[in-house]
Amino acid sequence: MKKKFLALVMSAVVCATMLAGCGSASESAAPAAEPAKEEAPAAEPAQDAAAADAAADSTSEATGEIYMFISSPEYADAINELIDAYKEVAPGVTINYETTQNDYPTLLKAKLNSGEVPDIFSSTSGKEIDTYLEYSYDLSGEPLMETIDPSVAAAMSSTANGGTGCYGIAIKGNYFGILYNKDIFEEVGISEFPKTFSEWESACEAISAAGYKPFTTGFAEWWVFKHTYQHFVNAAADGAGISTAELVQKFEKGEAKVSDYPELYDNYFKFLDLAVKYGDDKPLETDLAAEEAAFATGKAAMTLGQGAWIEADCLSINPDLNIGFVGYPTTEDAKECKVISGSDQALHVSKDSPNLQATLDFVNWWYTSDYGKAWFNDVAGVVPPIISDAVSEFEVIKQGSALAAKDGAGALAVCYSTDSWHQTCGQILQSYLAGEIDKDEACAKIEEQWAAIDGAQ
Amino acid sequence: MGMHKKQILGKILLLICLTIVALVYIYPVFLMFMNSIKPFGEVVADAIALPKAPTFENVTYVVDKIKYGSLFLNNVEITLIGIAGIVAFASIAAYILDRNRGKLSSAIYTLIITPMLIPFQTIMITLLKAMNVIHLDQSKIGLGIQYWGFGIPMACFIFYNFMKTIPREIDESAHIDGASTFRTFVSVIFPLLKPVTVTVIVLDVMWIWNDFLLPLLMVNSSNKTKTLVLAAYTFVGQMNTKWQYAMCAMSLTVIPSIIAFIFLQKYIVEGVVAGAIKG
Amino acid sequence: MAIIDKGMKKISPSKVFKEKLLKKKKLSGKKNLETILFCLPAILLICIVMYIPFLMSGYYSLTQWNGIAKNPVFIGFSNFADIFSGKSGFLTSLGFTVRYTLLFVIGSNILALALAVALTRKFRLANLYRGIFFIPYIMSMTIVGFIWKFIFTQGLDKIYELIPAGFLKWSWLGDPKIAFFSVVLVGVWQGLGFYIVLYIAGLQAVPSDVLEAATVDGATGSQRFFKVVLPLLGPSFTTCIFMSLTNGLKVFDIILALTKGGPGTATYSTTMQIYQEAFTNNNYGMGSAQAILYFIVVMVITQLTLKAMGSKEVAL
Repeated sequence: MKKKFLALVMSAVVCATMLAGCGSASESAAPAAEPAKEEAPAAEPAQDAAAADAAADSTSEATGEIYMFISSPEYADAINELIDAYKEVAPGVTINYETTQNDYPTLLKAKLNSGEVPDIFSSTSGKEIDTYLEYSYDLSGEPLMETIDPSVAAAMSSTANGGTGCYGIAIKGNYFGILYNKDIFEEVGISEFPKTFSEWESACEAISAAGYKPFTTGFAEWWVFKHTYQHFVNAAADGAGISTAELVQKFEKGEAKVSDYPELYDNYFKFLDLAVKYGDDKPLETDLAAEEAAFATGKAAMTLGQGAWIEADCLSINPDLNIGFVGYPTTEDAKECKVISGSDQALHVSKDSPNLQATLDFVNWWYTSDYGKAWFNDVAGVVPPIISDAVSEFEVIKQGSALAAKDGAGALAVCYSTDSWHQTCGQILQSYLAGEIDKDEACAKIEEQWAAIDGAQ
Repeated sequence: MGMHKKQILGKILLLICLTIVALVYIYPVFLMFMNSIKPFGEVVADAIALPKAPTFENVTYVVDKIKYGSLFLNNVEITLIGIAGIVAFASIAAYILDRNRGKLSSAIYTLIITPMLIPFQTIMITLLKAMNVIHLDQSKIGLGIQYWGFGIPMACFIFYNFMKTIPREIDESAHIDGASTFRTFVSVIFPLLKPVTVTVIVLDVMWIWNDFLLPLLMVNSSNKTKTLVLAAYTFVGQMNTKWQYAMCAMSLTVIPSIIAFIFLQKYIVEGVVAGAIKG
Repeated sequence: MAIIDKGMKKISPSKVFKEKLLKKKKLSGKKNLETILFCLPAILLICIVMYIPFLMSGYYSLTQWNGIAKNPVFIGFSNFADIFSGKSGFLTSLGFTVRYTLLFVIGSNILALALAVALTRKFRLANLYRGIFFIPYIMSMTIVGFIWKFIFTQGLDKIYELIPAGFLKWSWLGDPKIAFFSVVLVGVWQGLGFYIVLYIAGLQAVPSDVLEAATVDGATGSQRFFKVVLPLLGPSFTTCIFMSLTNGLKVFDIILALTKGGPGTATYSTTMQIYQEAFTNNNYGMGSAQAILYFIVVMVITQLTLKAMGSKEVAL
């Protein structure tokens, strides 16, 4: 009886599923046909696109529809302007732009799996390039290679393929370092920002004595940790005489011990303790917004784990803020104090896209046309990911590029690992700061998890 | 007279307590509304302080930016489709399951309410895959239909529990008059369910109107299908959130549902008065 | 069927009895058909959006898959073996979830019932008050997270300046032990309106003549409540406790918005753990395995509770 019933239900489900499929397919075709009149054909993207490609070959005017699904909604306005500008160039191309921050990786996975692969999608650069390799088009033969910033292009290559290829482009370059309040430093009498760890420590003491909070830490955010420890990872690699990539690989293979690298085992944990000692009252409760507020209102002298992206926010809290930008004093060697530049984010072009040519035309235009090249600085207000001599009005970008030109910039170590690992690492370090585990336990966990999460791939 | 005085005093005391609790309770909500009329700097520097100079520039910016009007209509459409199916299918199932009790119906009942225990996040990927096959994704109607499936378990559970309070004699007399079971349900039982129906509607309207993950998965890709909550989230970034706009957009999303709630509330009370006649 | 067969052997079958039996059989057959027919739309819809995707996830639990690659690798039950060997954080997160749920269910139900009783009194603006308690239920979790973080950090500091009570200086979200209670507090705050509505519906359904009869018999207010109203609220109790139980066990948004499971992993619920495993660690196969195990755990807990409630419930 039960079996029969089950069989009945299951077969009914199958039938209904099929019926529903047919029914709604015709239903959804109707509204989709409407915009087709005013804009580009939309009813069945795949087939139409194929037709469009064929048409493009004969008339040499591109038509088609590009589905762009990327993170970073903060650039939505700028990207919409970009899309509008492209509409003038290629009126036959429609770009459907969708953006979200919450759950972006999850949604992207859902879309990839359901076969709705976006023509343009995003991930972090570096290690995650390999994660999405099966879906990404190699741009290394495209015109945009002439304008792309070499450091950005480097972060887009595939380590799995031996560091070749360019599987993405970036919306922006970035600078990572310490933003500090120049006025506070002047008031305390520190004319130049310290470059060694011990000088830094005494500077904190002086600032604290003058009644300011030396640091605001943002330790409630997991990504603040990755932005701070990358400077120490670079220092550790230099100390060991290997490249940062090699050092990270050693950790992934489970061959490295944190305690073998004094820059990590001693300096980084000393740095964390220092940050808590001279930082916010409730370090693990301070998030990005709290950090920006403490820094911009002049309560705290230095921000940790931040970079170019917070300048505009801080200035809108306090327009008179006098921002300085420097690298981390990680060791006693002043040469190790470097800012980090590069692009931590990648936009991939789907290699199986039915509109591949239209998509490529768009990204090439973005990177090589006059409007596209000016867009980064003039519209989006970001560090251009292309070779450019545009002068930015942002202090962080100005000082960052000057410092990078003078002292060189550190490797963008965050992109050698996946965000999966960074997130876990952030949690381990939070547990350390909360006093739940001690330093050696934290190091053991870091060694174990790093190999488990990033080593497996 | 003394008794009366005591009663009034008790009532005043109750009201004072309730007001204090409500104020404490509403305070975070008040903060949301308040911060939606402050500029970014003031929100981040001190979210608790009153606005120095309230500005409605946020409101006009957000209304214009997210195309409030057309998204509002999307929300209405999706919510209406969702509610209609949930109420119809859940109530009729609950009715028959309560009246025809037995092994079969308890098996079906378990089958229907068990999905309440499935955490949504665990089926996200496969859900989109399945919806893609049957073309229920990327459309407002499709999303509404999905809400039927997601809403029925809870609605059925609520209906089923309250169905017990309706005496069986009522359907028996209808049966004797020659009405079919379906007929009995539609014209006799369903009207008696009014208070529960309103409860279900209230809960589900609030849920669908303000839902985030499912619409994000299904209808985020086009402005023609987007919902208000999704639009509000476009102001939220990982390292860069425009809090003043996010709060303003959320306030604008929540306000209509609060008004709907206060309005629908009345019917729960009225419905009971109507239902009491049967007792 | 078997029972009827036995009965037929015992009593010699007369024609009349046979007919009666046939009629009964026919009737129950018709009833069953009716039951299936009336429930069919509900069952179909639920299958399409919940069971089929869930079964599909079930397949992935037997694979090693990052959620991205085109071809998952079939590995049998080794994901499950890994969970039981305690390698993943699944078991610890289960402990957190159980503690959270317990406190959440008790807190929500007591407060909701108390407020529902107060709110069903007749007074002006009663509807407005009900609305107030309901609003948090419909607020976006990101905003709730932002605002509560502000209250916990700066708000409490400001109150401390007025009333220097030590607990206001605690790190409500930064201290692993206190963070647990903060999460419960916000969880109850957010969900309370939902249960209030359900209790109000239940209280409204208590027939007024029963109450009048009790008053005539000289019952005091509290007697009336505990002896008459409370037992009649059976269905509301079942609904609310079951709902708060499932909502407690499914807790996710609040934690994501407030602490993201932190500090460290102090507030990791099982759903959070599953999400993290599947989407952050790119371990979808493992995440699905945990989801299936968790589903079984939740099912056992809720079924036991429902059974216990069912036996105590007073039918109207």
